[in-house]
Amino acid sequence: MTVFKAFLKILNRNKGIVIMYTVILLVFGVTNMSTNNSNNLFTASKPSVLIVNEDNGNISKNLVKYFNENSEIKKIANNEEARNDALFYQDVSYIIYIPKNYSSDFLSGKNITLDIKKTDTYNGAYAEMLLNRYLNVANIYQKSVSDENELINKINETLKKEVKVEVTSKLNTGELDKASFYYNFMSYSMLACLIYVICLILQVFNQDKISKRNIISSTNYKKSNRILLLSNFLYSFVLWLFYFIVSMFIVPEVIFSMHGVLYLINSFIFMITCITLSFLLGNLIRNKNAISGVVNVVALGSSFLCGVFVPVNLLPSFVLSVAHIFPTFYYVEGNTLISSLEDFSFINLKPLFMNFIIMIIFCIVFIILTNIVSKKRQKIG
Amino acid sequence: MKKVIEVNNLTKEYKGVKAVDDLSFDVNEGEILGLLGPNGSGKSTTINSILSLLNYKSGNIKIFGKKMDTNAYDIKSKIGVVFQDVAVFDELTVYENIDYFCGLYITDKNKRKQYVSDALDLVGLKEFTKFRPKQLSGGLLRRLNIACGIAHKPKLIFLDEPTVAVDPQSRNNILDGIKKLRDNGATIVYTTHYMEEVEILCDRVIIIDKGKIIATGTVDELKNLSNIKEKVTVEVLDLSDKYIEEIMSLKNVDSVIYQNNELFVTYKKGKNNIVEMIDYFKNKRINYSKIFVERPTLNDVFLELTGKELRD
Ligand SMILES: Nc1ncnc2c1ncn2[C@@H]1O[C@H](COP(=O)(O)OP(=O)(O)O)[C@@H](O)[C@H]1O
Ligand SMILES: [Mg+2]
Repeated sequence: MTVFKAFLKILNRNKGIVIMYTVILLVFGVTNMSTNNSNNLFTASKPSVLIVNEDNGNISKNLVKYFNENSEIKKIANNEEARNDALFYQDVSYIIYIPKNYSSDFLSGKNITLDIKKTDTYNGAYAEMLLNRYLNVANIYQKSVSDENELINKINETLKKEVKVEVTSKLNTGELDKASFYYNFMSYSMLACLIYVICLILQVFNQDKISKRNIISSTNYKKSNRILLLSNFLYSFVLWLFYFIVSMFIVPEVIFSMHGVLYLINSFIFMITCITLSFLLGNLIRNKNAISGVVNVVALGSSFLCGVFVPVNLLPSFVLSVAHIFPTFYYVEGNTLISSLEDFSFINLKPLFMNFIIMIIFCIVFIILTNIVSKKRQKIG
Repeated sequence: MKKVIEVNNLTKEYKGVKAVDDLSFDVNEGEILGLLGPNGSGKSTTINSILSLLNYKSGNIKIFGKKMDTNAYDIKSKIGVVFQDVAVFDELTVYENIDYFCGLYITDKNKRKQYVSDALDLVGLKEFTKFRPKQLSGGLLRRLNIACGIAHKPKLIFLDEPTVAVDPQSRNNILDGIKKLRDNGATIVYTTHYMEEVEILCDRVIIIDKGKIIATGTVDELKNLSNIKEKVTVEVLDLSDKYIEEIMSLKNVDSVIYQNNELFVTYKKGKNNIVEMIDYFKNKRINYSKIFVERPTLNDVFLELTGKELRD
């Protein structure tokens, strides 16, 4: 209790920083969204797709038509090298190979897989989602409808209906973009607040003179340390919860939907990653005056590189490759994936889950490093 | 007399160099024991070893009759420590600091409130409760450091050089406070390199040098160890060598030093040697501004035992 009380008092004396970053979030996170013309943003990010069609049937023509409506079809010189180059330079995010006799094989119920090539980008994932949606619908009707024209009509009807339903019910892309923007920006405020407070608390309590006093007291030292750890978690959790509650007011439609649950999970995992990173930094820093510098370098730097302030597709590719070393990158990418989700099948969610796992791996690495660093520290003391 | 601390054959090495060398001593209940020694003699190392903050090479330490180790929380609950370096939170106020450290021992809220208030009274920081450590002078900061160490009313208190770099007013306040703690029944281990403090404060003294005990006893007993029995100091201008030689040959005189217009004369025996000195100056019609007699100091004892001064 004593330790927790001291924690609260020190936190209270430093609340200015926490308030500052929160205000930044509210000011930028909210105002920026209201000026966003999200529809433009959305059309600008239609994926560019290349279809290599060696089939002449109507089924494959219909697939091409579908992609014509929902993506930007690219024409590239008819050889594999040119296609690979196009992928590499991200002129094309997704390539679909339709083999000979695809239409007739499909009609006869053969299980055909389409070869694809893709970039590891949001657009690539988006195109894949489009393809999966088409194939899911097509496979369902193929089993019951045998007439080619009827089958094509059914597929197209359903796909149209699905889009319509989503537009009216939940896939309000403007709101989703707002939500993504808010949650992306939140990573900056949260990272800054957590690093600042946790590093400060660790600095204060790890001072040799203070820890010596704690060790000779009749309060179990390990217990005190555990309480301190829990206090830091509690603080982080409360801050995260607060940011989440704010988002309920800003984008209520999104938050009270499956998308909201995914934003919640993504940001929660990111928060845990921030805590472990803060503990690592707190054990590395040996000087209270260094904390603000570290906050700036780590929180501001990683947020910038990972596309928190500037959309990822505007960043040069070398910046993006550097960004992969920060957990923020996977968090921001996760938010982008969430905003593009139309249905929540496992296939569509898989890339998001991958990002969750990567963030958790970051946590584990940070915890291991923290243990190594703090052990070294004890030996010096 | 009950023994509160028993130290037997304590040896502590830093990278093969002995900082504490086969130390054995006891601390009796209710006394102020002074550990007197120059900087680097091993006082802090001794205290930190007794408290199990350091791993020592060999030795046996009992506190309140039980073996002391890192998990002896029942012993720890009865101990208060004031370390040489001020150990307080810069982020907390004077009151909150004392409350925190007291809270590590005393969980009852009302009791703690009373204890913190008592500690503030003892060190005279009542008017500074809302101050932050950075706003306090060196002396007040030291007092806060002490209040944090003793607020939980421990039976056994360690104070490691609590008066280093402190103004005279704070020093007197601190020394008075420590006496009060003893009068309230606490046993106190007090380290210092100021012999004056030991003379004012301590019931018993252990003089250590290079990690070894070189003498133990009350202040009087230690002074009796000295070959010198009296010291007479005369402030006198331009004393010629002729007189100095004559003074050398006066009765009981052991040594004579004249420097900066001050004459220091030591005697190995006799009492009231000052009378003879006054007579001598009267007879020779030499004017002096001041003359006084002293018993030997602990510094003299230390000088005789080790060949060097306590303070450098
Ligand atoms: N952490 C340490 N590492 C190496 N040597 C040390 C360390 N602490 C103290 N010493 C050495 O041990 C001796 C005793 O030091 P200390 O107990 O601090 O003396 P005191 O408190 O009497 O001034 C000194 O020679 C000092 O240099
Ligand atoms: Mg010391």
